[in-house]
Amino acid sequence: MVTIQANHLHAFRGGLKLKHHKNESLINGLSRLPVAEKLWISLRINRGNIATPLVKVGDKILKGQRIAKPDTQRGSYIHASTSGTVSAIEQRSTASPDADIALTIEITADGQDQWIELHETQITQDYINNASPEQLITAIHNTGLVGLGGAGFPTHLKYQSKTQIDTLIINGAECEPYISCDEQLMMDYPDDLINGILLMMKASGAKQAIFALEDQVGGIKSGIENKLKARNIDSIVVIKVPTIYPAGGEKQLIKVLTGCEVPSAGLPLDLGIIVQNVATIKAFNDFMSQGKPLVERIITVAGDCVGKSQNFIAAIGTPISHLLKQAQYHTEKTHRIIIGGPMMGYAMPNAEIAIDKTSNCVLALGQENTQHYGPTLPCIRCGECVNVCPAHLLPQQLHWYIKGENLEKAREHHLFDCIECGACAWVCPSQIKLVDYYRYAKSELNYLDYKRKKSDQAQIRHEQREERLLKLKQERMAKRKRTRRRTANPDKIKADLQATMDRINKAKEAKNKDKT
Amino acid sequence: MSQKRRLNTESAPHIPHTTTVAKVMLTVWLALIPAMIAHVYFFGSGIIIQLTLSIVFALLFEGISLKLLNKPLFLKDYSAFVTGILFALCISPIAPWWISFIGLFFAIVVAKHLFGGLGQNIFNPAMLGFAVVLISFPQAMSSWIPPHSISPYALSFSENLQAIFFNQFPTKVDFDTLTQATPLDLIKTGISQGLSQSEINSSVFFGDFGGLGWEWIANLYFLGGIFLIYKRIITWRVPAAVLLTTIAFSLPFNMADADHYIGSLQHIFSGGLMLGAFFIATDPTTGCSSHKGQLIFGAGVAIMTVLIREFGNFPDGVAFAVLLMNMSAPLIDRLTIPKAFGQS
Repeated sequence: MVTIQANHLHAFRGGLKLKHHKNESLINGLSRLPVAEKLWISLRINRGNIATPLVKVGDKILKGQRIAKPDTQRGSYIHASTSGTVSAIEQRSTASPDADIALTIEITADGQDQWIELHETQITQDYINNASPEQLITAIHNTGLVGLGGAGFPTHLKYQSKTQIDTLIINGAECEPYISCDEQLMMDYPDDLINGILLMMKASGAKQAIFALEDQVGGIKSGIENKLKARNIDSIVVIKVPTIYPAGGEKQLIKVLTGCEVPSAGLPLDLGIIVQNVATIKAFNDFMSQGKPLVERIITVAGDCVGKSQNFIAAIGTPISHLLKQAQYHTEKTHRIIIGGPMMGYAMPNAEIAIDKTSNCVLALGQENTQHYGPTLPCIRCGECVNVCPAHLLPQQLHWYIKGENLEKAREHHLFDCIECGACAWVCPSQIKLVDYYRYAKSELNYLDYKRKKSDQAQIRHEQREERLLKLKQERMAKRKRTRRRTANPDKIKADLQATMDRINKAKEAKNKDKT
Repeated sequence: MSQKRRLNTESAPHIPHTTTVAKVMLTVWLALIPAMIAHVYFFGSGIIIQLTLSIVFALLFEGISLKLLNKPLFLKDYSAFVTGILFALCISPIAPWWISFIGLFFAIVVAKHLFGGLGQNIFNPAMLGFAVVLISFPQAMSSWIPPHSISPYALSFSENLQAIFFNQFPTKVDFDTLTQATPLDLIKTGISQGLSQSEINSSVFFGDFGGLGWEWIANLYFLGGIFLIYKRIITWRVPAAVLLTTIAFSLPFNMADADHYIGSLQHIFSGGLMLGAFFIATDPTTGCSSHKGQLIFGAGVAIMTVLIREFGNFPDGVAFAVLLMNMSAPLIDRLTIPKAFGQS
């Protein structure tokens, strides 16, 4: 079991100190967003899988109703986030890189926002003690839970693993600037979080839970600690970690807390750890206590083009334009609309795109806030990217090899350990969009590997066929050889022939004799 | 709907970057200013003329190269500006004007742009230009002048101009008394004449550690280098490796035979070692990229420098050491790929 001491934290190499920009949205508090006229719920689940719709155009649906199911165990369910009518099931741009198109269910809201029948449960210590892990994991699957921190990994998969889990890490470290939805949630719902953590611990079998916060947040730690003390819970420890981007990254957070590194290409599970975002915990608690599946989330709307930065409880599928309108945004000034944070988020081509389960922030930034200081120049290999890379890579060498289309060399330089945090691009004095190069190289290499695998298979098939044909040929040859050997000795053949003829003649004679 | 206009969809990071290449280069220039002032203080106004000439030639060749190569990047990065300054700081204050013309032609046109321009060069441009003129014109390159305090005659600004442009020296002083070999040159000839180190060091041309005046310039290079480390323009690795390896590698020679081998401090405070450690070997383009590689690179520069100074024909070897290590940098880089996060 990994040991974690609050007074003995570790450091990960690299990282950046960035301006937080979080108070702008936090001072305005949390409010519930009125439901938009139309919601677009994307059916894309992780890794490009698409869920199968369970409703038809024209169906009347209620909030919380299951509207799509995954094709495999590795997917998650999707629920309606308001009541109304299914008005279309079509391809639409989604809140993903390059605003990719995916199958989307359009719900025209009826304004009632009417829930399906909900069953409330009091989450008590007894209830948690009596719950079985299997039952909880099934519940996680049923609620359609995915990692709400941004990656969208289906949550139930983490708990189905055979590995013994001893530590649950609650990730409350939002390292990207502007995003404050998790901090808002931790401020407003400490009790729900504690219940959620206890349930998650039960589901995973973890003996301890570490609640990790950034040291720049004030008051939350003592608030939660007081609640824990009041309830006599000592299995949950709250720890503040230094605010260094990307300390909220799963692997970096584990390193800071435990000093252990998640193996390259491995998962936290390999260390007996599950990392869960606070919003995921809260969503699970909501399902267990109120029966509400994952249909809404807290999202930060911020940026210099927004009149009033704020956190909203928004239905999944709410169009960005609706969110921005509520935050009084200036259309003309806006140069970029970003889903996610300023370091790793995706710029959207327009505001008529809906948020999904993993969208934690919408940023509207003006031109003066996004433009570069200078032109893009060639890399001078200054090495600042090496100093800030949290994955211990040589970003300038990767760039060099990828630019020269020497992708295998880039793989040799551990391209696939890049977490695309963007720290290298942020410090680059030549203003090179380094992460673009890495994304390109990764997808290109994946494609080449796929092609190579295909051609390897074809090669194997071809070889097997050749082998089969050779075997047939050999058999044929052997047969012919046998025949030839028999035909090689003329005397024997003559004798054989004679013997056969004799036999036939004898038979004929016998027949004639019988007749007569 | 008004929102139908397509917004900018460039990829992350979306908040602006804070540094530019121009800023990096200008910071390097800033770090060199104290040493430049000391240069003027000890060796007179000739260095100002050399600096002006070198910067003008560097920018001229840079401009012409970029024009011919159709790259509209003139004065966007200030790298040629820094190359010019570094070159000027390496040559004699009274070197004729064509030294910097030829040197910077090789530095900017051959070493930099023929290899692909900014960031693509294999050899440090200033050092390549310097090595070319050092080998081709040894006479002009070795005629230094003594520091003002011990000089029989100090050249005025106009006399410096005349010397540099027309090779005319004041008639009232003898050319040989006016010029003076560099401290490392003095040591080399001293040793060959059978003098011991202590005898050489006790002459008026030497100060506490290195050559008189030279050691102060070295101190200021050191300060400038510390400033660059503080500003995160360079890391401590290369300079530390160069300085510590110089001491570690030269100490055994000096301890075995103090009369024939140069002392460690003399190594560091004379010649171009301090400039090389903080401003030349730290050039990221031609150096190593991995942290381990940078240590090896710095150590290599130090070892080659000491070997050339002790056993070679040239009194100083920093430029050749840097060029030799420039050649080895790609190999060192390939052998020192660091382990990624989670691979240890």
